[in-house]
Amino acid sequence: MKYLQIILALTFSSNLIFSMSGSWNANSASILENKKWEVGLFQPFRYGYSEKVEYSVHPIVFFVMPNMSIKKEEKNWKGFNAASSLSFRYPTPLLNILSRKGIGGLLDPNLNLPPMLGVSYSWIISKPLKYFDLTITNGLDFGLVYGSLKKSSTIDLPLVFHRLSIFNNGWGYHGGIDIQKPLLKNFSVLIDLDLLLLPNLDKAQSNPSFEKMRGNYSLEHKFLLSWSKSQKFRVTTGYKLVHAEFPFGEQTRLLPYMPLIEKWVPIVELQWSGIKRGKGQKLDPEKWLKKK
Amino acid sequence: MKIFKIPLLFILVIGCDPFVTEFSETENAVMYKASNIPGDSDVYDDGALKVVTWNIRFGSGRFPFFGDSCGDEVISENSDVKLIMQAIADTLNKIDADIVLLQEVDVSSKRTGYLDQVQYLLENTYLNYGCYASMWKADFIPTDGIGKINTGNAILSRYEITEAERVELRLRTDQDDLIQYFYLRRNILKAKIPSLAQSGKDFFAVDIHATAFATDDTKQQHLIKYSEVLSEIANNNGVFVSGGDLNSVPPNSTVDFCMLDKCDSEKYVDSEGSESEYHSIDSSAGPHKEGAFFDNFEGEPDILQPLYNNYSAAISHANGSTLDSSNYTHAPSTSYERHDIKYDRKLDYLFTNGSWEDGSGYTHQEAWALSDHMPVSAIFIPVFEQEL
Repeated sequence: MKYLQIILALTFSSNLIFSMSGSWNANSASILENKKWEVGLFQPFRYGYSEKVEYSVHPIVFFVMPNMSIKKEEKNWKGFNAASSLSFRYPTPLLNILSRKGIGGLLDPNLNLPPMLGVSYSWIISKPLKYFDLTITNGLDFGLVYGSLKKSSTIDLPLVFHRLSIFNNGWGYHGGIDIQKPLLKNFSVLIDLDLLLLPNLDKAQSNPSFEKMRGNYSLEHKFLLSWSKSQKFRVTTGYKLVHAEFPFGEQTRLLPYMPLIEKWVPIVELQWSGIKRGKGQKLDPEKWLKKK
Repeated sequence: MKIFKIPLLFILVIGCDPFVTEFSETENAVMYKASNIPGDSDVYDDGALKVVTWNIRFGSGRFPFFGDSCGDEVISENSDVKLIMQAIADTLNKIDADIVLLQEVDVSSKRTGYLDQVQYLLENTYLNYGCYASMWKADFIPTDGIGKINTGNAILSRYEITEAERVELRLRTDQDDLIQYFYLRRNILKAKIPSLAQSGKDFFAVDIHATAFATDDTKQQHLIKYSEVLSEIANNNGVFVSGGDLNSVPPNSTVDFCMLDKCDSEKYVDSEGSESEYHSIDSSAGPHKEGAFFDNFEGEPDILQPLYNNYSAAISHANGSTLDSSNYTHAPSTSYERHDIKYDRKLDYLFTNGSWEDGSGYTHQEAWALSDHMPVSAIFIPVFEQEL
């Protein structure tokens, strides 16, 4: 059972690299069509609940970190399609698994992590331009803690530290720009740049007289190349580059990075999509085809 | 495609620092300097030199760290580390040594709040220069909540260090590849201090922290390498002061501390996961607790004899001083709470191929609360004074 929990925890970690990525427009203002679903090896399950609302949940990670996200279409803004997204996650069970003795103990085993709820709100606008599709995101993140959280309860790794430190800092800001462009017949690229901010994190740290208690920002850039075999299946590969400030100082890291072989290796993500049909309902290809 | 090559190369270079640092056989050490060096405080007056060696246990005092005691703790409270480091600085100021050989110094570790302890000591003592060689440097150790770690040996000096070299020591062979990858990489730190040249002879300070828990012949290999480094200096007409935590007891000492160091309900676990008791207090037949038994291979109880034969020791072995309890330098940090023992063995030493002032060797047991090791100091007599 403990190894299953560790595997689930590591799956969550892999998910961070591709989370909020533009896989099949997951991160744009577009809402998944009604009754259409998408899922990937590391991506959450997304479902078009209606023409204007989609929800997503990461089904595997859900057992260790209950999570849910709702995206809703909003009124167009200055020619941009607009949407808002609200997401919740409860990381306490996951963090308690990672707070353990022996291998897999990413957190101090003496920590007793309190119930915590992460809430994120994003405002997303997208517009197809002449040469590419543009998406701009801005949002706020809140970390609600019921009880006391030790300041050493951080995992000082790229992608993880700034997302978990929401609970130490109380709140943060996230924003980003995505550019998506079709290349050849079934290929497309996504390039993005994201910024996470934890204002005044140094004041939330345990001992301000220690010079290096920092971690105010993370700048993250992603490049993804996708090949769509069909409307139902797609393969994506790429890299993520993170330059961030941590409690120990600044660091730049290319991900995913494999420690044992000390090399960057491109991750490969497989994604599937489909449409939920009612009983007796036949598939209408024209209705189901996705608008680009 | 050409347009992407340079940015891609740039990304690969800046973003691919090793996750766990593996060192080459020899490489330059990291150099340090105090931010303020007053007047001529770093000018050598040809006088005697006081030398001290101290394993400062990363500024955690007697903290019940899981890795080297019967405790369960991992991360020290930042305020505690600061207090201990200030007390260590005060002790060094009081000892007033010219050359300080340190072991288990953290420079960027989560367990001690990422405090650079080398720079901290340079800023809070009269010492002006330093060098550092890591024995454990990793972005993240995914076990027991250790996280990021960078800890190792340091030499601090009143006088300028111009060259410093990290000499790799052999890795343990009694570990599997995965554990070995994430485990310590011990070293010898060798520093040249030109202003202390003795009648034309180059002057070196050499610091070592030998393996503590190996059950194979790693300790033997470490001490062989140590002897090679020292004899190379001596054979090239150089002078050295050297020492550190050798994790070895003097010849004719007690070698078996298994039952004293054993934690409550602790059992021996073999490579297949089977548990058994350590040997009883009336027997030394094994199995033994790692780090508590000093007869793991033939000759280990006498492994320091060649150093005593070839060099001058700060605490004499010939007159039995090394076996005197007043010269004990170590006991596991939880020994005091469990057995009322502050120190019960000698693991820390100073040697030179010159001479120590008679009777100057001293073990500072009054500092027992600041680490699980005590400092050992002695006064080195300059070579030209010896020649008079």
